[in-house]
Amino acid sequence: MNKSESPIISVKGVTKRFGSFTALQDISLDIRPGEIFALLGPSGCGKSTLLRIIAGLETATEGTVAIDGQDMTGIPANKRPVNMVFQSYAVFPHMSVADNVAYGLKLERRPAAEIREKVAEALAQVHLSDFAHRKPDQLSGGQRQRVALARALVKRPKVLLLDEPLSALDAKLRDAMRLELVKLQESVGVSFVIVTHDQSEALAMADRIAVLKDGVLRQLDSPAALYKRPVDRFVADFIGSINMFAVTGRRAEGGDAARLETAELGAIAVPAAHLPAAGKGALTLAVRPERVKVGAKAQKEAQGEGGLVSVAGRLGDVAFQGNSSIVEVLLEGGGSLSALVSEAEADHLMQAESGSPITAWWALDDMLILPENATAA
Amino acid sequence: MARERRAPAGPFDYSRKLSLRLVFIIGAIFLYAPIVVLVIFSFNDSRRGGNVIWKGFTTKYYEKAFNNDALVEAFINSLAIAFISTLIAVILGALTAVVLWRFRFPLKPVFEGMVSLPIVIPEICMGVSLAVFFSSFGLYVPRDMPFPLNLTNIIIAHITFSFPFAAMVIRTRLNSFNREMEEAAKDLGATEFQVFRDILLPHMKPGLVAGALLAFTLSLDDFVITFFTSGPNTVTFPIKVYSMVRFSVTPEINAASTILILITLLVTFLAMRFQSFEEPRQ
Ligand SMILES: Nc1ncnc2c1ncn2[C@@H]1O[C@H](COP(=O)(O)OP(=O)(O)O)[C@@H](O)[C@H]1O
Ligand SMILES: [Mg+2]
Repeated sequence: MNKSESPIISVKGVTKRFGSFTALQDISLDIRPGEIFALLGPSGCGKSTLLRIIAGLETATEGTVAIDGQDMTGIPANKRPVNMVFQSYAVFPHMSVADNVAYGLKLERRPAAEIREKVAEALAQVHLSDFAHRKPDQLSGGQRQRVALARALVKRPKVLLLDEPLSALDAKLRDAMRLELVKLQESVGVSFVIVTHDQSEALAMADRIAVLKDGVLRQLDSPAALYKRPVDRFVADFIGSINMFAVTGRRAEGGDAARLETAELGAIAVPAAHLPAAGKGALTLAVRPERVKVGAKAQKEAQGEGGLVSVAGRLGDVAFQGNSSIVEVLLEGGGSLSALVSEAEADHLMQAESGSPITAWWALDDMLILPENATAA
Repeated sequence: MARERRAPAGPFDYSRKLSLRLVFIIGAIFLYAPIVVLVIFSFNDSRRGGNVIWKGFTTKYYEKAFNNDALVEAFINSLAIAFISTLIAVILGALTAVVLWRFRFPLKPVFEGMVSLPIVIPEICMGVSLAVFFSSFGLYVPRDMPFPLNLTNIIIAHITFSFPFAAMVIRTRLNSFNREMEEAAKDLGATEFQVFRDILLPHMKPGLVAGALLAFTLSLDDFVITFFTSGPNTVTFPIKVYSMVRFSVTPEINAASTILILITLLVTFLAMRFQSFEEPRQ
């Protein structure tokens, strides 16, 4: 986390407006050399716009982008030391695979022998050597994507920008390609900036993830930190699955504790230190399903001193997931929560009838107390 | 529909439905029977071209047509006009199409409408207006100019009515262009001009070929507008044929027309070959 190297891309205070619509608002972030950086967020949150601003295909309304320490303001896309893999791949249909890859080098007026050598090398890197003379219409979607990758990498960019690189592939290919992209990044060593709306993709591939929502950077962290310490309700909900309970009332309770009221869990006393420091809007209590235990009666285990939260309910559906199951607990206060249990526990629970009384509990330390939006003033 | 034992014919299964097959056959007869008759009777050894009685095979009317200097000159004029006007119409049409597709500017819809207006204006009106325009501004090129400059007025007239067609066809082709392609080229280091030359132009090529084909055939057989803008010394093939028919329909006309059909087919064939070489199946 504390690499001393200076950032390869530095985005400072970038705002982008399309007319009166603000697509990006005051985005600042640094991309480090050699990392896979993911821009994650729901569709329309401005990920592609930010990528295009870095590539020079779009101009920021305010703010600057520096690549390798050089301010890129006013420098057009064709002069920037970054290359992009487009969402549609944008492979040139009238050129062969080899010509597609060679195009960027031909524009640099490199000698023919050097071009041939580099193209062969790039095609080998993406396992397309046997397809050099094919036309793009004779390739599958996955192969076209490799052409786009080779075409960009052959230019030796300082950063490779990828816009939703996996979204157009079918599910099976997508999983294989995830791994392959990571390997490719390791072998070429340049930073990848990957735009995606799929949180599992970002978690699996990225070293760091920037979560965007409506043009605002909500959180920038490692995948583990995003998962364990989301800063607000949106991030917690977007990354992985989580049980959430809206806080309806809040009361200070002598010393360093506070009482939070929820419809589902009743009132819960929490240490004031657990309350979020920043942000506004209503609070939400949240707990990951794998932290929730279920059984006939709450049992305190040897973990943390923060005490337990337990809630009574009835057994709902049990969804089998291979080596684990998701148990639905219908709460007495209304609503439900889900718990992730092991195979053995699930077998045990299945013996009880659906609707029979059950208790769910978790350690107070495992419960997150989240503001609606940590970045809002 | 469900009672059929075979799968019901889809909307595009022309050959499966008897009614559609019938329509197709009747349509084909209407389209091609006159042409077939024309070609057959160009070889008829009869003095009247409209004669429906077969009098024996001969090629003498082809010989006669080739020896008819006025007819040959008209033929060469027509081809020259068609080639030159097509070339200019396609260049103008392509530029117009790119501007309309690429840029946003004030009054663009008005401009767009004005470009396609000549397509719907009756030919007779265009003919008259061009004639009035040329004469009232003294723009008629002197008759004694050397070939093909003596055809300038007709060529200008032909460009005027054929370039909107070329522009429309090319514009339609441009609609299928993926703008990310352009951005990808730029991202790889291409300048605006290189993007145009290496990416946009190859994409436009089928549109250019189709537009050229359209302009060429429109020009080759135009009668009305040519009639109004040609002088007595600049006769084109359709006008020559018309004046010959007024005296009598001879098989010579059939023969000349057959040659024209052959040339049109040849040009079309070459254009399609060219296209399939350059642009493999999508
Ligand atoms: N050229 C444009 N003109 C107007 N609005 C745009 C333009 N490009 C993007 N937008 C808008 O900006 C928002 C962000 O777009 P984008 O960056 O493509 O989102 P995504 O995160 O899905 O990639 C969207 O609401 C989109 O409609
Ligand atoms: Mg996008």
